[in-house]
Amino acid sequence: MLRDVLSGALRLWDVAGTVEPDADGLIVTVGEAALRVVPRAPHGWLVVRGDETLGVHAGVPGLLRHLRDELAPHAKRGRLIIGAQ
Amino acid sequence: MTALPVSVITGFLGSGKTTLLSRLLRDPAFERTAVIINEFGAVGLDHLLVESSDEQILMLEGGCVCCTVRGDLVRAAGDLLARRAAGTVTPFERIVIETTGLADPAPIVHALMTDRDIADAVRLESVIATVDAAAGAATLDTHPESVKQAALADCIVVTKSDLADPAANGLAERLQALNPGAPKLVALHGAVDATQLFSKRTHLALIDEAPAHHHGGINTFCLRRKKPLHAVTLSLFLQVVAEHCGARLLRLKGLVDVVESPGRPAVIHGVQHVFHPPAWLDAWPDQDRSTRIVVISQGLDARWLQDLLELLDEEVKACSIS
Repeated sequence: MLRDVLSGALRLWDVAGTVEPDADGLIVTVGEAALRVVPRAPHGWLVVRGDETLGVHAGVPGLLRHLRDELAPHAKRGRLIIGAQ
Repeated sequence: MTALPVSVITGFLGSGKTTLLSRLLRDPAFERTAVIINEFGAVGLDHLLVESSDEQILMLEGGCVCCTVRGDLVRAAGDLLARRAAGTVTPFERIVIETTGLADPAPIVHALMTDRDIADAVRLESVIATVDAAAGAATLDTHPESVKQAALADCIVVTKSDLADPAANGLAERLQALNPGAPKLVALHGAVDATQLFSKRTHLALIDEAPAHHHGGINTFCLRRKKPLHAVTLSLFLQVVAEHCGARLLRLKGLVDVVESPGRPAVIHGVQHVFHPPAWLDAWPDQDRSTRIVVISQGLDARWLQDLLELLDEEVKACSIS
């Protein structure tokens, strides 16, 4: 299901890319950039470029934010606002 | 201090907003209403068509309330509230804002819900959109502003029903597909049951499964889930949606079965990235106990949102077990 969510996120950010499985997790490729998303025990995700770990995320929200910043920096960012009423 | 209810009347040019407002103000139940009218152009005219005490009608001219005069709207509302508190105007019990025909209601809703100068003093009651029975379908085809107005409304009033039958010309079906959760009232010469216009709680209770619909760049669909969601999942879901979907999310409202609140569903309601705090019902409004989240958007993928919801809940569940 993570693969579908990441693929959908690329479309949402208006970038052409792919999300493919590899031995450890998933590889997200946009143009020349390729990032590996690897599950981290007991839960969470690592974002890895080559041998370098770029980030550790406890859940999907942080993972999505990191991938967007790396792969689709032009994409608009919103912020949840809960009104006063 | 009790927050004063504020309603927004929107609708495309010539769709009957002023006629509706004029009739409403003649209803004894709404005589204690202050009105803010936004007119586009150097010389305002609409206020001349509304019969009411001038002291409670404020004009915002020379720009559209959703863009250039948004600050003026906040100041006007604040000014009305100050005059009410000082006893220099009749103590009105609600405020109605009539927008220009080209206004996007979203920024107005955001201002009312979040602006620090007025958000504590007022309570957004409802957004009412007028749609012309005769010209409405063509307007929806050619003016995206009108689609957004109808999509964001809590209640849609079909006007000029003496000129065309909205059921016969397909307009009623189209509005139902565009915004299935909003009651549709039919007005004749602006006459409509006013009490039905101003009851958000009733509107929220009417959430039902929306058939997937796509027209003119706007798609409407319903996310469903039979198992209850963790409260944290709901919070994370809304955060991700607000962060990544941006203005493509026009409206989201739903009844949510929450693990931590059995038998008492949460009502969620947002316009783009701005949400009301969840409200908790004492009981389910109908026999259906499943989570139903109706989304009106500009091209969001229903499957993606459903997958996201499931994935987040799996993560939250795994964290709470371990």
